[in-house]
Formats: sequence, structure tokens, C-alpha cells
Amino acid sequence: METIKFIVKRLAYSILVLVGLSVLMFSIARVIPGNPARMALGPRAPEWTVQKLREEMHLEDPLYIQYYYWLKGALHGDLGMSLVTRRSVAYDIKEFFPASLELALYTGIFMGIVGIVLGVISGWHNNTWIDNSVRIVSYIGIITPSFVFAIFFVLIFGYILQVLPTMGRIPLSVTPPPRITGMITFDALITGNFALFFGTLKHLLLPAISLAMGPMSQEARITRTTLAGNMSKDYVAAERSCGLPERTIMFKYLLKPSLIPTISIYALDFAAMGNAFVVELIFNWPGLSRYGMNAMLRKDLNATVAVVMVYGILFMVVNIIVDLVVGFLDPRIRLGTKSRE
Amino acid sequence: MNKITKTLLISLFIVGTLFSWGPAGVSGRLLRGTWAWPTYIDPAVGSDFSSSIALIHLYDPLIYPDREMNPQPHVAKSWEVSADGKTWTFYLRPGIKFHNGSELTAQDIKFSMDRLTTIGEGYAFLFAERVTNTEASDKYTVVFHLKEPFAPFLGALYRFFIVNKDLVMANIKRPGPYGEMGNYGKQYLLTHDAGSGPYMVKKFAFEEYLLMTKNQNYWQPEYAQVNPFAPDEVKMYGTTEPITVRTMMARRELEFSDTWQSEEAFEALDKIKGVDITQYSTGNEWYLMLHTRKAPTDCIHFRKAIAWALDYKTLTKFFPDCPQARGPVPQTLPGADPTLLQYHRDLDKAMTELKQSKYYEQLEKYSLEFHWNGDVPVTEKVALLFMSNMADIGINVKIVKTPWLSIVEESARMHTSPNIAIINDAPQYPEAGSLLESRYKSDSAPTWEQNEWLLDPEYDTMVDDALKTIDQKERFAKYSKIQHDIMDLCPSIFMVELLMKHAYQATYMDGPAFRGEATPFMGYDLDSRFIKVYPEKQAELLK
Repeated sequence: METIKFIVKRLAYSILVLVGLSVLMFSIARVIPGNPARMALGPRAPEWTVQKLREEMHLEDPLYIQYYYWLKGALHGDLGMSLVTRRSVAYDIKEFFPASLELALYTGIFMGIVGIVLGVISGWHNNTWIDNSVRIVSYIGIITPSFVFAIFFVLIFGYILQVLPTMGRIPLSVTPPPRITGMITFDALITGNFALFFGTLKHLLLPAISLAMGPMSQEARITRTTLAGNMSKDYVAAERSCGLPERTIMFKYLLKPSLIPTISIYALDFAAMGNAFVVELIFNWPGLSRYGMNAMLRKDLNATVAVVMVYGILFMVVNIIVDLVVGFLDPRIRLGTKSRE
Repeated sequence: MNKITKTLLISLFIVGTLFSWGPAGVSGRLLRGTWAWPTYIDPAVGSDFSSSIALIHLYDPLIYPDREMNPQPHVAKSWEVSADGKTWTFYLRPGIKFHNGSELTAQDIKFSMDRLTTIGEGYAFLFAERVTNTEASDKYTVVFHLKEPFAPFLGALYRFFIVNKDLVMANIKRPGPYGEMGNYGKQYLLTHDAGSGPYMVKKFAFEEYLLMTKNQNYWQPEYAQVNPFAPDEVKMYGTTEPITVRTMMARRELEFSDTWQSEEAFEALDKIKGVDITQYSTGNEWYLMLHTRKAPTDCIHFRKAIAWALDYKTLTKFFPDCPQARGPVPQTLPGADPTLLQYHRDLDKAMTELKQSKYYEQLEKYSLEFHWNGDVPVTEKVALLFMSNMADIGINVKIVKTPWLSIVEESARMHTSPNIAIINDAPQYPEAGSLLESRYKSDSAPTWEQNEWLLDPEYDTMVDDALKTIDQKERFAKYSKIQHDIMDLCPSIFMVELLMKHAYQATYMDGPAFRGEATPFMGYDLDSRFIKVYPEKQAELLK
């Protein structure tokens, strides 16, 4: 009951935030210089064509009237037409979002597993050469932008060693599977095409690892720090004095509370996959981030607002899930009690 | 070996085995290239580089340009123009089939022109204000009625592609913005083709790639035949990322690169074994556009001083192998005048001109604002060189990095246009009139194509008169006069004639473009019907 109340309350706040976000993005997109209709049709298009498109997009109307038309359409699932792709924005999102989601999922798996494992190893071997090595790698991972990793991996694995593909979602000569989820690995598994599944995984590997490096390093560091901090707590000393094996202390009593900050950061990193546009560009990954970036560069008003709203909703959902998971991990949060410390 | 190490090794083995499992590799003649996106394959919408290439593969025009840009019979086997230049009649070749098997007739041509001019996008600007009516006088005869004579009409028709009327009509969605024609099939033609060309759309993954497959039943025109070694499939990738292009060229996963790579990227590509660089002209030219209605560039002597002060030798080094421009029209374009003055750096002449300028005594009061395109890195080098050169004659220059969106925006109004803007322009039909029209006529003033703001009715009249002159010799003589007048006025600095550059797999492919013999017209330069791919040589390289 408490959980349901919590979710409803968070949803209500989130809707308010999303409305505010839509107003902000809508206004910003229209304030940026440039005539979107002229940009879309080119400099030589007759003026009457440009004017016709402007009227279709209500660009001659006051801003609040334009917002009204947009909101009215959005509530009916019509996000307008994209000036770049020349088709419905809702259709574009349906087309490109699964590619970004698929990439984000595998990135999330990699950064979660590897980040936590590295953090645990580092924390367990606190102040040893293992700890120091992991910390150095983590620092490098945190300060290096994902696109630098992308270029580096393409050079090493694509250009020099030539062992992994560097472009697109599926192997060159292959027909994609029937579209069920839009995520090719999942669709391949559902249709039993394991060759395609592994072929597609190969294509996912480099972009996913590029995106995961930064967040993985951050999670490793946070896990390591929290773990190291909790290891010096009284209850751990008590467990050791009772003769409990280190492995049991680590995995049964230390890991759960140490993961709470990691999971919070993990969720933020996952939701921030909207920044993947440069990586998507490098790997010619047809995802929503790249679509959104092209929309912004070409002043595609409807697409710009829609992409930001999609990532806003994603952020909102992920944050709610994180709060629930953290509540599960830490009963004090769930029960609303304060820590004794 | 402890348990963890054993587990790790076994996991690596399993992962390695699984990752070696995958679908079979590529076979057949495949031609893959990279290109800037988006690509529009609707002939009434697309007009940029990648769209133009796609269109010539999927559709047929009425006539086809040869290497000298002369029209060759294609869908039209012959044609004639009336004495007054306003009626053009084309006699079609019977038996040409669209990809769906139906025959191409005059009705399809009428429909295509009506559709193009109604939608008003893409290359419609070449016809919308000129073609009053298209008539299918019989099954294989089509007549275009023009409002006024337009001598380059044949050249403009290189941009007119024929769609299958029945197929488009069957895929029209109503209601739409075009009345009873609904959406005019625009939704359908976004990702499908309705053409008769040598290739057909196999798959169009928007923002990722366009895959075209050979039309096995292509009707084979006399001039533009599909050679027996032409690719079976053509794939255009929507990326220009240098590292991706370089990796794919090295792995032989790409046959040619786009033209947007930097000089450094081309140098790196050239070093790959078996990869060469080709370059040829398609009539592009770089200009510095001088605002003729804003101080101090509103003074002719000031403008000429700038023209004499610029270091063209250094300038051309920013565009390797590209020749310095001579006048407003590239020399490769029919109708270009080869006798025009070509400026060179001469500070004495620059000072002579500057001293005649009304701004000479107040140079410190008037500084030039030079806007360079933030999306095109080479323009910064040009801006810096310009600033340095002008300092030698006492002219202050303020260079401003300007995003493309802002350039388009500010060029729409006279007072917001800067003193100097830099642009690269190409002709839309293959003769000098195209650039003389698009660069300097009054209706292009509020667009990015003209920062000069010439607004000269006399000039407009001269250009219109030339374009109405059916006799080519006479017309070219008029172009020549106009070009000389432009030189006298000095509204622009004519920088370089840009060459299209591509990296390509020289070991296993060949074609006119890769021998520097391309048809010098955007889209036609990379027509796959003339390209030869040898997969057996590619296989040798991959061993």
C-alpha cells in the first residue's frame, strides 16, 4: 500500500516535470534562429511552398497557440511531422528507439556487471596493487569521453586487428528478422535465429563497451569506496570475531548495503544514454540519440521536442524504479526510519 | 590452476566460439559507399548529393548527359523545340518497363511533372515557374509548354525523373495537403521507388543505409548502358565519420568514400594498400561574397583592393589540387569565359584601388565582418588568411564563427548579412547561366546563395535575356558579357574551383569517375551502370 502510494505520488510529480520540460523545449526549439520550413525545403524552393509548410506547422501562430496544437496532437499520439525524415515523428520514434534501447540494455548489463565486479575486487583487496590498478583504470574511464573510447576501439579492433565489426546493427548480407520488439537480438532469439543473434551481438560489442566505460568506472569507484567504508564498521568486526568466513561477510552482509549508492548512480547513467549520439554516429547506429542530434542541427522542431520528451520519460521511469530497488535493499528507507549513525 | 582462473578460461573459450558463429559473408558484385544523410529517393523531394545519386540509379530521365554534358537520347529518342522556344516536344521510346512491369508512357511523364511542380520541393524550382502545362499528346509523345523560352531546358531535364503514375496513385493517402491528390504518394516514395532505372530499392533503413539491387530487366539505352561488370547491389551508407570510413576501406567493406572527408583523412586513406584517390570537377566553386550595400564593401574600389590583396597561392593550398577560380563560373561549365581576369596578389594594385575608395581615410572606423561557416573547418583557415592579408593594406577584419543555421538566417535580411560570407555553390543545370542566375539575380538575394545583395534590375534583365536565347553560340556570348560585367563590378572573390574527391578501391574496381573522367554533374558522376567491380580481385586482396 505504501509502495503504491509512493509510486502514484512520484508519477504525479513526474507528470508536472514533464509538462514543464515540454514547455521549455518547445520554446527553446522555436527561439533558435532559422526558418525550419526554408531549411527543410532548401534555398531554391518557391516561397509559396515554404509558406504552405509554415502554415501546416502553425509557425505563423503565436507560441502558445503552437503549443496548444502540439499538446493536443501529443495527447492523441500525434507528435507532428519530422522535417528531416518527412514522416510522422511518432513513427520515427517507434523506428529508432528500439535501437537505442537495445544498445542501452547491453551497455547497462556490461557497466553493471563489470563495474560492480571491479568495485568488489578493488574494495576487497583494499590498498593493494589490485586496488590501485583498478582505481587508475577507473580514473581513466571517468575522465575520457565515450566517443574517444569509441574511436580507440574502432582503431584497435576494427582497423588494426580487424576482429569486430564497426558499423551498423547487423552483418552486411543478412536480412533482419521479423520485427517484433525492434531489438534485433531479442527478435533473433524469439525467432530462433541464433546465428543472427551472435552476429548482432558482435555489432553491439564495441558501441556498448564504449558507452559503458565511463559509467562502469564510476560504479567501480563508488562500489569500492562504499565497500571499503563499510568494511571498517562495527558489525563487520563483530562478524569476523564470530568466525564468519570473509566470503560470507562480503557477499551476504557487506555487498547489499554497499550497492545502494552504486544503484542510484547506475540508474542515472542508464537514463543518460541519450548522450550516446556521438557513439551512434561513429558506429552508424540508427538510434534515437543520433536522430535527435540531427533534428537539433536541422531545426526539426517536432522531432527535437519529441526526443527530449522520450528521454525525459525514460529518466522519470528509471528514477522511480531505482527508488523502489533502493527501498528493497535498505529497509530503513522503505520503512522511513532514520539511520542510527 | 585455481577455480576462478579455470572458470575464466572456459568462459572465454565459450564466448570466443559463440562469437565466431555468425551468418555467411558477402558474395557477388557489391558496391558500397558512404554519403552524408538524409537521402530522399522521391524525385519530387530529393535534391542534395546523396539524393541525386540515388535518383539516377532508381529512375530514368528523358535525356542523359554525356561527358561533355550534351544530351543523349534516353527515355526520349528524339525531341524538338518550337521556333519561339516555348514548346518542347519529346518522342518516347516504346517498350520501356517500370520495375513493376508496367510500360512507361507519356502519361507517366505528365504525371511526374505535375507532381513535381505541385509539391514544389526538390528540383521543382527549375520547372515550377517555367512549365505552364505538360501534355501527353499521344501514348509516346509528351509536350512541355513553357511560360517563356528557357534555352537550358534540356539541361534542366537532367534533374527530372519519371515516376510510375499507376503505382504512385495506388499508394496515395487521403486526406492530404494536395487536395484530391492527397499526399501525392510522398509517404510511399520515402522508402520505395516507382522508377524504371537500372536499380531498384531492396531495403531502405532510414538513417542507416539504402540498398539497391540491379534491375535484371533494364531496357538498356544506347548511351547509358549497364555494363556487364556493374555491381549487382549498391549500398549507400549514411555516415561520413572518418574513422569508420578508414576502417571499412582497410577491411574492404567499402568500395568508395564520400567527398566530405578532410584532407588529412584522404591522405590516410591513400596510404591504405590498394586504395587510391580520384578527383574531378562537377562545377562547384568557392566564393567570398562581398556585401555591396553595406559599408565599406559597398565601395567598388574597396572590393577591388580586397581582390588584389588576397594571397591566392596560399589559399589554393587549403584545397589541394583545386585550381584557382577565374570568374563567377567554373571553367569546366559550358559557357564559362576563359578570357576573364584572374586576380593575383599585388599589394601595389591593392593600395592603388584602396586610395580611390571613399573609406581610405577612415579605415580604422570601418572594419570588415567576415563570417565563416562553423560546420566547415576549412573556412576558418580562409578567414584567418584573409584577415592576415587585409592587415597588410591596413584593413581591419573581424572574423566570426557562424553556425550554418545562423548563416541561413542572417542572409535572409540585408542589414543582418555580414560584409563577407563564404560559400560553395554548384550549378543546377550544366551551363554558366545556372550560376549567373542563382548567384546574382535579385530573387536569390535573401538566400544563403547570395550575400552580395546586388539587386540590379539591369543584371536580371540581361540574365533573363540570355536564358531565353535558344541559339547556344549567341547565348554563350551573352553569358560572356555578363561574366565580364561581374568582373568589372567585383562583388565577389572567386576563390577555387572545387574538385570532388573520393577514395576508392583501385585494385578491384574501375569506372570513369575513378579515372577522373566522370560526367561533371552531381549524381551522374557516380552512376553505377558505368562502374565495374571485380569480386575475384577483391577475394585475392582479402586472402
